Amino acid sequence: MTFGKTIHGLGQAIGGLGLSVAGLLTAVVPAFAQDAASSAPAAPSALATGAAQGAAVASGAGSYTPMKPVEGIGMPIDGAYGLQTQFSKTGEYGEWIHDIILMPIITAICVLVLALLVVIAVRFNRRRNPVASKTSHNTLLEVVWTLVPVLILIGIAVPSIDLIAKQYKPAPEGALTIKVTGNQWFWTYGYPDNGDFEVISNMLNIPGQPVINNGVREVGSKPWDGPSHLEVDNRMVVPVGEPIRLQITAADVIHSFAVPSLWFKLDAVPGRINEKVLVVEKPGVYYGQCSELCGAKHGYMPIAVEALPRAQYNAWVLTHAGGAIDTGKKPAAAAATPAPAADASEAPAPDATAEAE
Amino acid sequence: MATTADHFQAHSEDHGHHDHDHKPAFFARWFMSTNHKDIGTMYLIFAIIAGIVGGAISGMMRVELAHPGIQYLDTFARWFGAVNPDFNTTLHTWNVLITAHGLIMVFFMVMPAMIGGFGNWFVPLMIGAPDMAFPRMNNISFWLTVAGFFSLMCSAFVPGGTGNGAGTGWTVYAPLSTSGSPGPAVDFGIFSLHLAGAGSIMGAINFITTILNMRAPGMTLHKMPLFVWSMLVTAFLLLLSLPVLAAAITMLLTDRNFGTTFFDASGGGDPILYQHLFWFFGHPEVYIMILPGFGIISQIVSTFSKKPVFGYLGMAYAMVAIGVVGFIVWAHHMYATGLSVNTKMYFTAATMVIAVPTGIKIFSWIATMWGGSVTFKSPMVWALGFIFLFTVGGVTGVVLANGGVDDVMHDTYYVVAHFHYVLSLGAVTALFAGFYYWFPKMSGRMHSEFLAHVHFVIFFIGVNMIFFPMHFLGLQGMPRRYPDYAEAYEHWNHVATIGYMVMATSLVVWFINIIYAYTAGKKAEDNYWGEGATTLEWTLTSPPPYHQFETLPVIGDTVHH
Amino acid sequence: MTTAADLQPARKARNRKVGLMALSAALAMLGLGYASVPLYRMFCEATGFGGTTKRVDEAQAATVQDSGRTISIRFDANVERGMPWQFKPLQRTDTVSIGARDMALFWARNTSDKTVTGTASFNVEPEQAAPYFNKIQCFCFTEQVLKPGEEVRMPVLYYIDPAILDDPDNKDVQQITLSYTFHVTSTGDAKTLDRTQAGG
Repeated sequence: MTFGKTIHGLGQAIGGLGLSVAGLLTAVVPAFAQDAASSAPAAPSALATGAAQGAAVASGAGSYTPMKPVEGIGMPIDGAYGLQTQFSKTGEYGEWIHDIILMPIITAICVLVLALLVVIAVRFNRRRNPVASKTSHNTLLEVVWTLVPVLILIGIAVPSIDLIAKQYKPAPEGALTIKVTGNQWFWTYGYPDNGDFEVISNMLNIPGQPVINNGVREVGSKPWDGPSHLEVDNRMVVPVGEPIRLQITAADVIHSFAVPSLWFKLDAVPGRINEKVLVVEKPGVYYGQCSELCGAKHGYMPIAVEALPRAQYNAWVLTHAGGAIDTGKKPAAAAATPAPAADASEAPAPDATAEAE
Repeated sequence: MATTADHFQAHSEDHGHHDHDHKPAFFARWFMSTNHKDIGTMYLIFAIIAGIVGGAISGMMRVELAHPGIQYLDTFARWFGAVNPDFNTTLHTWNVLITAHGLIMVFFMVMPAMIGGFGNWFVPLMIGAPDMAFPRMNNISFWLTVAGFFSLMCSAFVPGGTGNGAGTGWTVYAPLSTSGSPGPAVDFGIFSLHLAGAGSIMGAINFITTILNMRAPGMTLHKMPLFVWSMLVTAFLLLLSLPVLAAAITMLLTDRNFGTTFFDASGGGDPILYQHLFWFFGHPEVYIMILPGFGIISQIVSTFSKKPVFGYLGMAYAMVAIGVVGFIVWAHHMYATGLSVNTKMYFTAATMVIAVPTGIKIFSWIATMWGGSVTFKSPMVWALGFIFLFTVGGVTGVVLANGGVDDVMHDTYYVVAHFHYVLSLGAVTALFAGFYYWFPKMSGRMHSEFLAHVHFVIFFIGVNMIFFPMHFLGLQGMPRRYPDYAEAYEHWNHVATIGYMVMATSLVVWFINIIYAYTAGKKAEDNYWGEGATTLEWTLTSPPPYHQFETLPVIGDTVHH
Repeated sequence: MTTAADLQPARKARNRKVGLMALSAALAMLGLGYASVPLYRMFCEATGFGGTTKRVDEAQAATVQDSGRTISIRFDANVERGMPWQFKPLQRTDTVSIGARDMALFWARNTSDKTVTGTASFNVEPEQAAPYFNKIQCFCFTEQVLKPGEEVRMPVLYYIDPAILDDPDNKDVQQITLSYTFHVTSTGDAKTLDRTQAGG
């Protein structure tokens, strides 16, 4: 904790305040994420390698090499001031509400209050204004400062309610379903539409720190490893650009599945499922962390979502025992999904317990 | 009057005293006290001690969070009696720290200081009452709170699952707090809440009765000082919300120990119901912590502007409105639990409504100062700090109110920043404002105005350095309740830890100031703030006589809050 | 001049009255806290809050008309951590006529060497469809007992209320998921195991 670093920190903090005011005035709110923007050009190259892999697997056999994440994309940036860059439609909308509507309004309110306090300090101190006025009522003023906030709040509520409606739009029938289960302290991802295989996802160990997950390698031991504390041994792989029905539950205590760059957070509650749609717009790796206190290793069960083009996703599916290419994508196909006991489905209901085999 | 029996008699049906400062002996005075001022003093001392414990715990957390990785938790685990802590035990210690910090600061620091301390001291003085309505119950309230604190301290040294102590978070969510935390620690923690809650409910009954019944002739409800109004609303919030918490945590206790399944899905219960009950209490609770602060700030702003409070009725009823609406917004703490779309929309809209009465308060304070002849004595400086910091905390509340936006901020450091701006920077700043406003009245000695200003400046810089960067961390997605984090969160965490040290320095200045007051401080006059201080406590000596208002003051039409 | 002592006796009685009123308000809230458990359950069953399905009897079910429109149903099965059961739906999805009764089958197996009694909790997603999801018969209504190694097929007899077609909140719903989670209610020790075998 050197003095120089302290001063640097202070400078950054003050700069951050200044920047947020600048952002307000010019509405260039994305400037908050300058670091993210400057590293963005690196993204296409990663996509290109991804595409190359896709071509390689087009022949049919399962194959998968984890994607190397891009610095600053889908993960936090040190010293940044704003939201992570968003990679979903609701995320972009939410980011817009936050950066363009909420931030300017709340900054303006704080600046207004501060300015009024400064004016009071300058104009109404005892030296400048020795005799206090006795005004203690002004009906017009009181009506104004009741109604203006109401109008501002209505202005906020309209897009805000709209955002909620968009987030809750149910998934289409043929959407790929992925089952997320929170456990103390790892995540499992089930793929019921792809042969019902399950992926167990543990955080990678951190060099120089106590072993968090026995038998799991250290972060940085593979070329595609992302940041420590965030990278996992088996990522949740999803197809890019299509709606995914995420169904989330927990096996023991409450966890929360959260990915900041996808504007996604939903609790995993034992004994019930929660459902929400996820659409990832660009191929890439997006990191998140458990967001509901779940015991000792709450801080060590991160989430890594890897979004791949459909062909590569299918190739990844085929690398799993029992993995099958999604047949439930189209509604017609979904209806034809083989159901082992479908023939019995119209029979009168027997007593459940009596039907032991 | 040396015996307790005599002392109790003094409050029941005796026929006046010959000697105003007739105090009981030490033990009877401080352990069996029924005097509202003595009990208030004990509450304040207790709150300071609990605050030191809770503040030391935040120091332990900040030092661990200065850098990624686990550096000190292992040592802390040993302090709580772990012999050779394994990694889970070490990490469990973190959860114990965050739980204890939250519970201590809420139940054993802010509430005792605001309600038990300043409330006990100044509600009777401001309404012209000789004491609280139920002096003996007042004493029981205090000692229940102390017992609750001890129960919580005990919990840290008994098993609570993966290690010693209760590691459930102050929210004690099931099933982590039931099947997820075997061992007696959580039971001790729950019992601690029972005791503190019972004490607070008794306190609330006492305040309601005192304020409704014991006002001096002429002191109508609409002439009561705003601090008394704030205590009245707070007492009603306590009365209606705490029993719900008591029921919820009792059900937790039976789920844990007696095989019931109120919150356990395996027996048809629902863990989400616990969250509904907790936050039905928990949201009014945050207003319980801040409303008395509003009252203190209103008194101070009026005193040092030499003006009556602007829009007095609007101010009083804004607090009532905040209290009422506070009961119907609880699920905004649960946006991520899988609420249905309509529920989420309702709670978004309802929550935003609270910004309106809150805005009325902020603007009324400003209008009170506008046109005033403002002196910047230490309480006023703290009050100005409060108004600004509370505004910052309030507007981030408007951001978080949006259910759709909360999806990215919920349970991140943005929330931590928000509630520390309204509580640590809001309520605590109000407490310091009240402290400097009334300390000479309570002690009879003047503090150093210079040190009080120094205390403010350092504190203001420190707390902003701690908590402002947390907004950035939250927007970048850093989850709360983490002992360790990705390297990309290091910068702002480091700044926050330095901020903690700055803030801690300011507290040293505060302690020096108290020592100064008692050793070298001038004797305080009756009304040391001068013409702006118009409430009844300023008509009494500093400190006020042991029994005041034996001849009741009569409130004329001109007296203004 | 009024002294405090003058007011004392009258004030004491009034204080007691107000104090008791406040106390009864607190006790009422305490009662409400406990009452919230059944009230919440009733509220969920009445409104589908939290994805709670409706339970109907044969008579009610007989009055429903097939609407001729179809909807997709997905089935999901979970067991709580540590429960020695395998539990799966025998059909991932099924397309059903809205208003017509349908049956889904689930399969469970006890993988342990002890008799295990379980109960299933359940919910429906998207939540707004829950009040229209009617179960006539379900293994979740009662406890299920599985002997060591025993397998069982368990049916759910249900229909979707055609009123869902008129609900604007449900106009985008194309697939409804019915999810179950099995929890251990009791694990038989050697004695109860013997008794079960003797009885069986």
